[in-house]
Amino acid sequence: MADEALFLLLHNEMVSGVYKSAEQGEVENGRCITKLENMGFRVGQGLIERFTKDTARFKDELDIMKFICKDFWTTVFKKQIDNLRTNHQGIYVLQDNKFRLLTQMSSGKQYLEHASKYLAFTCGLIRGGLSNLGIKSIVTAEVSSMPACKFQVMIQKL
Amino acid sequence: MECVYTTEFKLMYGMLFSIRSFVSKMSPLDMKDGFLAFQTSRYKLHYYETPTGIKVVMNTDLGVGPIRDVLHHIYSALYVELVVKNPLCPLGQTVQSELFRSRLDSYVRSLSFFSARAG
Repeated sequence: MADEALFLLLHNEMVSGVYKSAEQGEVENGRCITKLENMGFRVGQGLIERFTKDTARFKDELDIMKFICKDFWTTVFKKQIDNLRTNHQGIYVLQDNKFRLLTQMSSGKQYLEHASKYLAFTCGLIRGGLSNLGIKSIVTAEVSSMPACKFQVMIQKL
Repeated sequence: MECVYTTEFKLMYGMLFSIRSFVSKMSPLDMKDGFLAFQTSRYKLHYYETPTGIKVVMNTDLGVGPIRDVLHHIYSALYVELVVKNPLCPLGQTVQSELFRSRLDSYVRSLSFFSARAG
């Protein structure tokens, strides 16, 4: 269990570190969110290499998304994605009803405005993982009531 | 309301600190747990201190026995989980997290020695 606390505390420090070292204009522009997302991207790329080194090739896009929801999420957050929805045209919505990085923050509306900062890294994580599996995408997150949150993945056809 | 609380807290801190050092000096043998609780004719004050200096204090009725494990649970399952791990709760300041307050409230209400009558 110690490693879970380590990742959580490190992630929290990372977010506050990025915001502290940013200048006034950057905070408003959302540059910090981009920085965090890029960090997550690089980590996601590396992680997916490690996790899939022994698995068979994926059949199709949906198979890859299911892998992300089950194995990938379990290894990083010790639980699976609770709900996966798709319109079969390249848009997937991953819903986590008890997102590990938000459970200690609040259950409801308090601190809602800060939630996006703590989701940026994970968005990048998903995007990086998908990128190394050959899928280019855009990942965004939204929270309406903590600790549940939704990650929206838009596949970009090249 | 802020003013009343701070004075009370300062007095309480001073009292607890003095009692703690008094207990350690008076103890004839090696002190294991140290100051656990004190009681007056009206109430009993239970005390739990962590190695990091966090102090958990609970005032109860006279009929309540040792509740060290309860105070420990408040520290480990509530304070550490919901305040220490919450990046938006700066340590050392009053806890603003509603989640912490509501969980603490329901935990205390669930205790066997809590009576809804007393409120």
